[in-house]
Amino acid sequence: MEAREYVWKGAIPLQIQLHESEVTALPPPPPLLILAPRIGYLPLLIPRVKPHFGGALPPGADTVWFDYNGLPLKWFIPTGVLFDLLCPEPKRPWNLTVHFRGYPSNILVPCEGEDGVKWSFINSLKEAAYIINGNCKNVMNMSQSDQSELWQSVMNGDLEAYQQVSLKLKFGVLEDEYIVKKNSISLRSKESSADTDMAGQAKTGRIPVRLYVCGATEDFDELEDAPEIDNWDKISYINRPVEVHKEEGKYFTLGDAVKALLPAIFTDKSFIDEDVSKTEVEDDKNAPCVSQGDNQDVSGSAEDRTEKNCEAVEPLFSSNTAELKLLRIHGIEPQLEIPFSWVVNNLMHPEHFLHICVFLKVARANHR
Amino acid sequence: MASDSPNSDRKIVVHLRATGDAPILKQAKFKISGAEKFAKVIDFLCRQLHRETLFVYVNSAFSPNPDELVNDLYEAKFWL
Repeated sequence: MEAREYVWKGAIPLQIQLHESEVTALPPPPPLLILAPRIGYLPLLIPRVKPHFGGALPPGADTVWFDYNGLPLKWFIPTGVLFDLLCPEPKRPWNLTVHFRGYPSNILVPCEGEDGVKWSFINSLKEAAYIINGNCKNVMNMSQSDQSELWQSVMNGDLEAYQQVSLKLKFGVLEDEYIVKKNSISLRSKESSADTDMAGQAKTGRIPVRLYVCGATEDFDELEDAPEIDNWDKISYINRPVEVHKEEGKYFTLGDAVKALLPAIFTDKSFIDEDVSKTEVEDDKNAPCVSQGDNQDVSGSAEDRTEKNCEAVEPLFSSNTAELKLLRIHGIEPQLEIPFSWVVNNLMHPEHFLHICVFLKVARANHR
Repeated sequence: MASDSPNSDRKIVVHLRATGDAPILKQAKFKISGAEKFAKVIDFLCRQLHRETLFVYVNSAFSPNPDELVNDLYEAKFWL
Protein backbone atom coordinates (compact mmCIF):
# COMPACT_ATOMS: atom_id res chain seq x y z
CA MET A 1 0.00 0.00 0.00
CA GLU A 2 1.24 3.45 -0.85
CA ALA A 3 1.95 5.90 1.95
CA ARG A 4 -0.83 8.16 0.70
CA GLU A 5 -3.34 5.36 1.07
CA TYR A 6 -2.27 4.86 4.66
CA VAL A 7 -2.73 8.55 5.23
CA TRP A 8 -6.22 8.53 3.73
CA LYS A 9 -7.28 5.40 5.56
CA GLY A 10 -5.93 6.61 8.90
CA ALA A 11 -8.63 6.92 11.55
CA ILE A 12 -8.94 7.48 15.27
CA PRO A 13 -11.37 5.55 17.46
CA LEU A 14 -13.39 8.06 19.43
CA GLN A 15 -15.50 7.52 22.48
CA ILE A 16 -17.89 10.41 22.66
CA GLN A 17 -19.85 11.30 25.74
CA LEU A 18 -22.61 13.82 26.12
CA HIS A 19 -21.66 16.57 28.57
CA GLU A 20 -23.37 15.88 31.87
CA SER A 21 -25.03 19.29 32.03
CA GLU A 22 -26.99 18.39 28.90
CA VAL A 23 -28.22 14.99 29.95
CA THR A 24 -31.96 15.09 30.55
CA ALA A 25 -32.68 11.40 30.24
CA LEU A 26 -32.51 8.56 32.72
CA PRO A 27 -30.46 6.47 32.37
CA PRO A 28 -27.97 8.78 30.60
CA PRO A 29 -27.18 7.78 27.01
CA PRO A 30 -24.23 5.41 26.65
CA PRO A 31 -21.08 6.81 25.03
CA LEU A 32 -20.86 6.61 21.27
CA LEU A 33 -17.97 4.73 19.72
CA ILE A 34 -17.07 6.01 16.30
CA LEU A 35 -14.11 5.85 13.93
CA ALA A 36 -13.09 9.35 12.85
CA PRO A 37 -10.97 9.75 9.71
CA ARG A 38 -7.70 11.53 10.38
CA ILE A 39 -8.04 13.81 7.38
CA GLY A 40 -11.65 14.60 8.32
CA TYR A 41 -13.07 17.30 10.55
CA LEU A 42 -15.12 16.92 13.73
CA PRO A 43 -18.30 18.69 12.52
CA LEU A 44 -18.56 16.10 9.75
CA LEU A 45 -19.35 13.54 12.45
CA ILE A 46 -22.41 15.46 13.63
CA PRO A 47 -24.90 13.57 11.42
CA ARG A 48 -23.80 10.38 13.18
CA VAL A 49 -23.47 11.86 16.66
CA LYS A 50 -26.78 13.72 16.81
CA PRO A 51 -29.17 10.77 16.45
CA HIS A 52 -27.36 8.95 19.23
CA PHE A 53 -27.81 11.70 21.80
CA GLY A 54 -30.83 13.48 20.35
CA GLY A 55 -33.28 11.83 22.75
CA ALA A 56 -31.43 12.95 25.85
CA LEU A 57 -31.15 16.63 25.02
CA PRO A 58 -32.96 19.50 26.66
CA PRO A 59 -35.27 21.51 24.38
CA GLY A 60 -33.64 24.27 22.34
CA ALA A 61 -31.53 24.87 19.28
CA ASP A 62 -28.41 22.77 18.73
CA THR A 63 -24.95 24.16 18.14
CA VAL A 64 -22.59 21.22 18.33
CA TRP A 65 -19.03 21.40 19.58
CA PHE A 66 -16.53 19.01 21.11
CA ASP A 67 -14.07 19.22 23.94
CA TYR A 68 -11.17 17.14 25.17
CA ASN A 69 -10.42 17.41 28.89
CA GLY A 70 -12.30 20.69 28.92
CA LEU A 71 -10.47 22.22 25.95
CA PRO A 72 -12.91 23.17 23.17
CA LEU A 73 -11.66 21.65 19.92
CA LYS A 74 -11.11 23.84 16.91
CA TRP A 75 -13.21 22.39 14.15
CA PHE A 76 -11.12 23.63 11.23
CA ILE A 77 -8.10 21.61 12.34
CA PRO A 78 -8.16 18.08 10.87
CA THR A 79 -9.15 15.49 13.46
CA GLY A 80 -5.86 13.60 13.15
CA VAL A 81 -3.88 16.76 13.83
CA LEU A 82 -5.97 17.52 16.92
CA PHE A 83 -5.26 14.03 18.19
CA ASP A 84 -1.51 14.21 17.53
CA LEU A 85 -1.34 17.61 19.17
CA LEU A 86 -3.48 17.11 22.26
CA CYS A 87 -2.72 13.47 22.92
CA PRO A 88 1.09 13.18 22.81
CA GLU A 89 0.77 9.76 24.38
CA PRO A 90 -1.89 8.29 22.09
CA LYS A 91 -4.93 7.08 23.99
CA ARG A 92 -7.36 4.81 22.27
CA PRO A 93 -10.22 5.32 22.24
CA TRP A 94 -9.85 9.05 22.44
CA ASN A 95 -12.38 10.33 24.95
CA LEU A 96 -14.21 13.39 23.73
CA THR A 97 -17.20 15.20 25.12
CA VAL A 98 -19.90 16.54 22.86
CA HIS A 99 -21.95 19.62 23.63
CA PHE A 100 -25.14 20.74 21.93
CA ARG A 101 -25.59 23.96 23.89
CA GLY A 102 -23.50 26.86 25.11
CA TYR A 103 -21.18 27.32 22.14
CA PRO A 104 -17.95 28.92 23.43
CA SER A 105 -17.84 31.65 20.79
CA ASN A 106 -15.04 33.45 22.61
CA ILE A 107 -12.77 30.49 21.83
CA LEU A 108 -14.20 28.86 18.74
CA VAL A 109 -15.19 30.36 15.42
CA PRO A 110 -18.81 29.64 14.63
CA CYS A 111 -19.29 26.70 12.33
CA GLU A 112 -22.23 26.24 10.01
CA GLY A 113 -22.02 22.47 9.84
CA GLU A 114 -20.74 20.79 6.73
CA ASP A 115 -20.95 23.93 4.60
CA GLY A 116 -18.78 25.79 7.05
CA VAL A 117 -16.15 23.07 6.95
CA LYS A 118 -16.26 22.96 3.17
CA TRP A 119 -15.82 26.72 2.99
CA SER A 120 -12.84 26.52 5.31
CA PHE A 121 -11.36 23.63 3.32
CA ILE A 122 -11.66 25.42 -0.01
CA ASN A 123 -10.11 28.54 1.50
CA SER A 124 -7.18 26.56 2.80
CA LEU A 125 -6.81 25.05 -0.64
CA LYS A 126 -6.79 28.54 -2.13
CA GLU A 127 -4.25 29.67 0.42
CA ALA A 128 -2.03 26.74 -0.50
CA ALA A 129 -2.43 27.55 -4.18
CA TYR A 130 -1.46 31.14 -3.45
CA ILE A 131 1.69 30.01 -1.70
CA ILE A 132 2.62 27.57 -4.46
CA ASN A 133 1.65 29.55 -7.54
CA GLY A 134 1.36 33.14 -6.34
CA ASN A 135 -2.35 33.13 -7.21
CA CYS A 136 -5.31 30.86 -6.79
CA LYS A 137 -6.55 30.79 -10.34
CA ASN A 138 -6.45 27.03 -10.50
CA VAL A 139 -8.90 26.74 -7.61
CA MET A 140 -11.05 29.67 -8.73
CA ASN A 141 -11.31 28.26 -12.23
CA MET A 142 -12.52 24.92 -11.00
CA SER A 143 -16.08 24.21 -12.01
CA GLN A 144 -18.70 24.03 -9.30
CA SER A 145 -19.20 20.33 -9.89
CA ASP A 146 -15.47 19.57 -9.76
CA GLN A 147 -15.21 21.53 -6.57
CA SER A 148 -18.00 19.62 -4.92
CA GLU A 149 -16.60 16.36 -6.25
CA LEU A 150 -13.27 17.24 -4.66
CA TRP A 151 -14.98 17.99 -1.38
CA GLN A 152 -17.03 14.79 -1.53
CA SER A 153 -13.88 12.76 -2.07
CA VAL A 154 -12.36 14.24 1.08
CA MET A 155 -15.56 13.67 3.05
CA ASN A 156 -15.74 10.07 1.91
CA GLY A 157 -12.02 9.44 2.19
CA ASP A 158 -12.00 8.37 -1.44
CA LEU A 159 -8.39 8.79 -2.53
CA GLU A 160 -8.97 7.60 -6.08
CA ALA A 161 -11.73 10.13 -6.71
CA TYR A 162 -9.62 12.82 -5.08
CA GLN A 163 -6.64 12.10 -7.31
CA GLN A 164 -8.88 12.23 -10.38
CA VAL A 165 -10.31 15.65 -9.59
CA SER A 166 -7.22 17.20 -8.10
CA LEU A 167 -5.31 16.51 -11.32
CA LYS A 168 -7.32 19.41 -12.72
CA LEU A 169 -5.69 21.71 -10.22
CA LYS A 170 -2.33 21.03 -11.87
CA PHE A 171 -0.36 21.49 -8.69
CA GLY A 172 2.31 19.15 -9.97
CA VAL A 173 4.41 16.96 -7.74
CA LEU A 174 7.46 18.07 -5.90
CA GLU A 175 10.41 16.32 -7.43
CA ASP A 176 11.15 13.37 -5.22
CA GLU A 177 14.84 13.77 -4.62
CA TYR A 178 15.19 10.30 -3.27
CA ILE A 179 13.78 8.59 -6.35
CA VAL A 180 15.70 10.82 -8.71
CA LYS A 181 18.90 10.16 -6.89
CA LYS A 182 18.34 6.43 -6.67
CA ASN A 183 17.66 6.22 -10.38
CA SER A 184 20.64 8.25 -11.37
CA ILE A 185 22.81 6.06 -9.21
CA SER A 186 21.46 2.84 -10.62
CA LEU A 187 21.60 4.08 -14.18
CA ARG A 188 25.09 5.42 -13.70
CA SER A 189 24.18 8.33 -15.89
CA LYS A 190 24.72 11.95 -15.00
CA GLU A 191 21.55 13.45 -16.31
CA SER A 192 19.68 10.97 -18.39
CA SER A 193 16.63 12.21 -20.20
CA ALA A 194 14.47 9.70 -18.37
CA ASP A 195 15.18 11.40 -15.09
CA THR A 196 14.28 14.82 -16.31
CA ASP A 197 11.11 13.52 -17.91
CA MET A 198 9.93 12.04 -14.68
CA ALA A 199 10.52 15.21 -12.77
CA GLY A 200 9.41 17.33 -15.68
CA GLN A 201 6.04 18.27 -14.20
CA ALA A 202 5.52 21.68 -12.75
CA LYS A 203 7.46 21.47 -9.55
CA THR A 204 7.58 24.09 -6.95
CA GLY A 205 9.95 25.28 -4.30
CA ARG A 206 7.42 26.72 -1.85
CA ILE A 207 5.58 24.35 0.39
CA PRO A 208 2.55 25.40 2.44
CA VAL A 209 3.03 24.26 6.01
CA ARG A 210 0.94 24.58 9.13
CA LEU A 211 3.13 24.01 12.14
CA TYR A 212 1.73 23.50 15.63
CA VAL A 213 4.28 24.03 18.37
CA CYS A 214 3.82 23.03 21.99
CA GLY A 215 6.47 24.13 24.42
CA ALA A 216 7.01 22.92 27.95
CA THR A 217 9.43 24.20 30.53
CA GLU A 218 9.44 20.99 32.52
CA ASP A 219 11.42 18.17 31.12
CA PHE A 220 9.56 15.06 30.21
CA ASP A 221 11.12 11.81 29.16
CA GLU A 222 7.96 9.84 28.80
CA LEU A 223 5.29 11.16 26.53
CA GLU A 224 2.63 10.39 29.08
CA ASP A 225 4.31 12.94 31.31
CA ALA A 226 4.03 15.64 28.69
CA PRO A 227 2.11 18.55 30.15
CA GLU A 228 -1.55 18.66 29.31
CA ILE A 229 -2.70 21.38 26.99
CA ASP A 230 -5.63 23.14 28.60
CA ASN A 231 -5.48 26.35 26.62
CA TRP A 232 -4.98 27.14 22.94
CA ASP A 233 -2.60 29.95 23.90
CA LYS A 234 -0.07 27.27 24.79
CA ILE A 235 0.19 26.27 21.16
CA SER A 236 1.99 28.42 18.62
CA TYR A 237 0.34 28.16 15.27
CA ILE A 238 2.87 28.92 12.57
CA ASN A 239 1.91 29.23 8.94
CA ARG A 240 5.04 29.84 7.00
CA PRO A 241 5.87 28.39 3.64
CA VAL A 242 9.05 26.37 3.44
CA GLU A 243 11.40 27.21 0.61
CA VAL A 244 12.99 24.06 -0.65
CA HIS A 245 16.67 24.72 -1.25
CA LYS A 246 18.68 22.39 -3.33
CA GLU A 247 22.29 21.77 -2.82
CA GLU A 248 24.50 19.61 -4.92
CA GLY A 249 24.76 16.13 -3.47
CA LYS A 250 22.44 16.76 -0.53
CA TYR A 251 18.80 16.28 0.18
CA PHE A 252 16.68 19.01 1.56
CA THR A 253 15.46 17.06 4.55
CA LEU A 254 12.54 17.29 6.92
CA GLY A 255 15.07 18.49 9.47
CA ASP A 256 16.11 21.31 7.14
CA ALA A 257 12.48 22.32 6.81
CA VAL A 258 11.96 22.37 10.58
CA LYS A 259 15.17 24.33 10.92
CA ALA A 260 13.87 26.91 8.49
CA LEU A 261 10.59 27.16 10.38
CA LEU A 262 12.07 27.25 13.86
CA PRO A 263 15.56 28.73 13.54
CA ALA A 264 15.53 29.59 17.25
CA ILE A 265 15.92 25.98 18.31
CA PHE A 266 19.04 25.49 16.29
CA THR A 267 22.35 27.09 17.00
CA ASP A 268 23.24 29.80 14.54
CA LYS A 269 26.56 28.37 13.56
CA SER A 270 25.24 25.04 12.48
CA PHE A 271 22.37 26.76 10.75
CA ILE A 272 24.85 28.29 8.36
CA ASP A 273 27.11 25.38 7.77
CA GLU A 274 26.18 21.85 8.60
CA ASP A 275 29.60 20.44 7.87
CA VAL A 276 31.31 22.68 10.37
CA SER A 277 28.99 21.54 13.10
CA LYS A 278 29.75 17.95 12.36
CA THR A 279 33.19 18.43 13.82
CA GLU A 280 31.70 19.79 16.99
CA VAL A 281 29.79 16.70 17.93
CA GLU A 282 29.09 16.74 21.60
CA ASP A 283 27.79 13.84 23.57
CA ASP A 284 24.26 15.01 23.93
CA LYS A 285 22.12 12.32 25.42
CA ASN A 286 18.90 13.85 24.24
CA ALA A 287 19.20 12.85 20.64
CA PRO A 288 16.69 14.82 18.64
CA CYS A 289 16.42 12.10 16.04
CA VAL A 290 12.86 11.03 16.42
CA SER A 291 13.27 7.51 15.29
CA GLN A 292 11.18 5.37 17.57
CA GLY A 293 8.15 5.68 15.30
CA ASP A 294 6.35 2.39 15.10
CA ASN A 295 5.05 2.93 11.60
CA GLN A 296 8.21 2.06 9.78
CA ASP A 297 6.26 1.25 6.66
CA VAL A 298 5.44 4.86 5.96
CA SER A 299 8.98 6.08 6.14
CA GLY A 300 9.70 3.16 3.84
CA SER A 301 11.94 3.96 0.96
CA ALA A 302 13.95 6.64 2.66
CA GLU A 303 14.89 4.53 5.61
CA ASP A 304 18.11 2.92 4.52
CA ARG A 305 19.74 6.20 3.67
CA THR A 306 18.88 7.96 6.87
CA GLU A 307 20.69 6.12 9.55
CA LYS A 308 24.22 7.23 9.04
CA ASN A 309 23.24 10.88 8.85
CA CYS A 310 21.56 10.67 12.18
CA GLU A 311 24.40 11.87 14.33
CA ALA A 312 25.08 14.80 12.06
CA VAL A 313 21.85 16.41 13.10
CA GLU A 314 22.38 16.00 16.78
CA PRO A 315 24.59 18.98 17.53
CA LEU A 316 22.39 21.30 15.51
CA PHE A 317 20.14 21.75 18.50
CA SER A 318 21.29 24.13 21.08
CA SER A 319 20.62 22.46 24.37
CA ASN A 320 20.35 25.72 26.27
CA THR A 321 17.46 27.23 24.34
CA ALA A 322 14.96 24.67 23.19
CA GLU A 323 15.06 21.07 22.33
CA LEU A 324 12.91 19.16 19.91
CA LYS A 325 11.25 16.37 21.85
CA LEU A 326 8.85 15.06 19.30
CA LEU A 327 7.76 15.69 15.77
CA ARG A 328 4.61 14.07 14.54
CA ILE A 329 2.88 13.96 11.18
CA HIS A 330 -0.22 11.80 10.74
CA GLY A 331 0.57 10.02 13.97
CA ILE A 332 4.01 8.90 12.87
CA GLU A 333 7.33 10.21 14.07
CA PRO A 334 9.35 10.49 10.89
CA GLN A 335 13.11 10.76 11.08
CA LEU A 336 14.43 14.22 10.38
CA GLU A 337 16.73 12.92 7.66
CA ILE A 338 13.94 11.93 5.32
CA PRO A 339 13.92 14.01 2.13
CA PHE A 340 11.37 16.75 2.60
CA SER A 341 10.04 16.16 -0.90
CA TRP A 342 9.00 12.66 0.10
CA VAL A 343 7.28 13.97 3.20
CA VAL A 344 5.40 16.60 1.22
CA ASN A 345 4.33 14.32 -1.60
CA ASN A 346 3.13 11.57 0.67
CA LEU A 347 2.04 13.16 3.92
CA MET A 348 0.36 16.39 2.90
CA HIS A 349 -3.30 16.85 3.65
CA PRO A 350 -5.83 17.03 0.83
CA GLU A 351 -5.87 20.84 1.01
CA HIS A 352 -2.16 20.76 0.08
CA PHE A 353 -0.94 21.85 3.48
CA LEU A 354 1.54 19.79 5.42
CA HIS A 355 0.46 19.78 9.07
CA ILE A 356 3.34 19.18 11.49
CA CYS A 357 3.03 18.86 15.27
CA VAL A 358 6.13 19.65 17.26
CA PHE A 359 6.80 19.35 20.98
CA LEU A 360 9.63 21.40 22.40
CA LYS A 361 11.32 21.50 25.72
CA VAL A 362 12.01 25.14 26.38
CA ALA A 363 14.64 26.30 28.84
CA ARG A 364 13.03 28.11 31.70
CA ALA A 365 15.14 31.25 31.35
CA ASN A 366 13.95 31.88 27.83
CA HIS A 367 10.36 31.06 28.48
CA ARG A 368 8.07 34.00 28.77
CA MET B 1 7.85 31.35 21.73
CA ALA B 2 10.18 30.95 18.82
CA SER B 3 9.55 34.51 17.77
CA ASP B 4 12.20 36.40 19.67
CA SER B 5 13.41 37.90 16.44
CA PRO B 6 13.31 41.69 16.17
CA ASN B 7 10.48 41.24 13.70
CA SER B 8 8.08 39.92 16.25
CA ASP B 9 6.87 43.33 17.43
CA ARG B 10 6.73 45.07 14.13
CA LYS B 11 3.61 46.67 12.78
CA ILE B 12 2.04 45.65 9.54
CA VAL B 13 0.03 48.04 7.42
CA VAL B 14 -3.26 46.57 6.36
CA HIS B 15 -4.97 48.03 3.33
CA LEU B 16 -8.69 47.36 3.39
CA ARG B 17 -10.70 47.34 0.22
CA ALA B 18 -14.46 46.98 0.11
CA THR B 19 -15.99 44.35 -2.10
CA GLY B 20 -19.54 43.18 -2.64
CA ASP B 21 -21.96 45.28 -0.61
CA ALA B 22 -19.42 46.25 2.03
CA PRO B 23 -19.34 50.01 2.71
CA ILE B 24 -16.17 51.87 1.84
CA LEU B 25 -14.11 52.88 4.85
CA LYS B 26 -13.07 56.49 5.34
CA GLN B 27 -9.68 55.32 6.35
CA ALA B 28 -8.50 52.40 4.28
CA LYS B 29 -5.09 51.73 5.85
CA PHE B 30 -4.51 50.55 9.37
CA LYS B 31 -1.52 49.42 11.33
CA ILE B 32 -1.64 46.23 13.29
CA SER B 33 0.96 44.35 15.26
CA GLY B 34 2.29 41.40 13.29
CA ALA B 35 1.91 39.22 16.35
CA GLU B 36 -1.88 39.58 16.28
CA LYS B 37 -4.13 36.96 14.86
CA PHE B 38 -6.11 37.56 11.71
CA ALA B 39 -9.19 37.33 13.93
CA LYS B 40 -8.28 40.78 15.26
CA VAL B 41 -8.58 42.25 11.77
CA ILE B 42 -12.00 40.66 11.38
CA ASP B 43 -13.13 41.83 14.84
CA PHE B 44 -11.96 45.33 14.12
CA LEU B 45 -13.84 45.45 10.84
CA CYS B 46 -16.99 44.04 12.38
CA ARG B 47 -16.95 46.84 14.93
CA GLN B 48 -16.19 49.51 12.34
CA LEU B 49 -18.90 48.35 10.00
CA HIS B 50 -21.41 47.27 12.65
CA ARG B 51 -21.80 43.90 11.03
CA GLU B 52 -21.98 40.57 12.74
CA THR B 53 -20.58 38.52 9.93
CA LEU B 54 -18.03 39.52 7.38
CA PHE B 55 -15.93 37.77 4.81
CA VAL B 56 -12.40 39.05 4.80
CA TYR B 57 -10.08 38.01 2.01
CA VAL B 58 -6.37 38.43 1.54
CA ASN B 59 -5.39 39.85 -1.83
CA SER B 60 -8.93 39.16 -3.02
CA ALA B 61 -7.80 35.57 -3.11
CA PHE B 62 -8.54 33.52 -0.01
CA SER B 63 -9.83 33.87 3.49
CA PRO B 64 -7.28 32.68 6.02
CA ASN B 65 -8.44 31.01 9.19
CA PRO B 66 -8.75 33.44 12.08
CA ASP B 67 -5.90 31.94 14.07
CA GLU B 68 -3.25 32.75 11.51
CA LEU B 69 -0.82 35.46 12.52
CA VAL B 70 -0.72 38.69 10.57
CA ASN B 71 3.07 38.32 10.38
CA ASP B 72 2.80 34.92 8.73
CA LEU B 73 0.33 36.21 6.19
CA TYR B 74 2.54 39.18 5.47
CA GLU B 75 5.74 37.22 5.21
CA ALA B 76 4.28 34.83 2.75
CA LYS B 77 4.35 37.88 0.46
CA PHE B 78 0.70 38.56 0.77
CA TRP B 79 -0.40 42.15 0.69
CA LEU B 80 -3.45 42.48 2.83
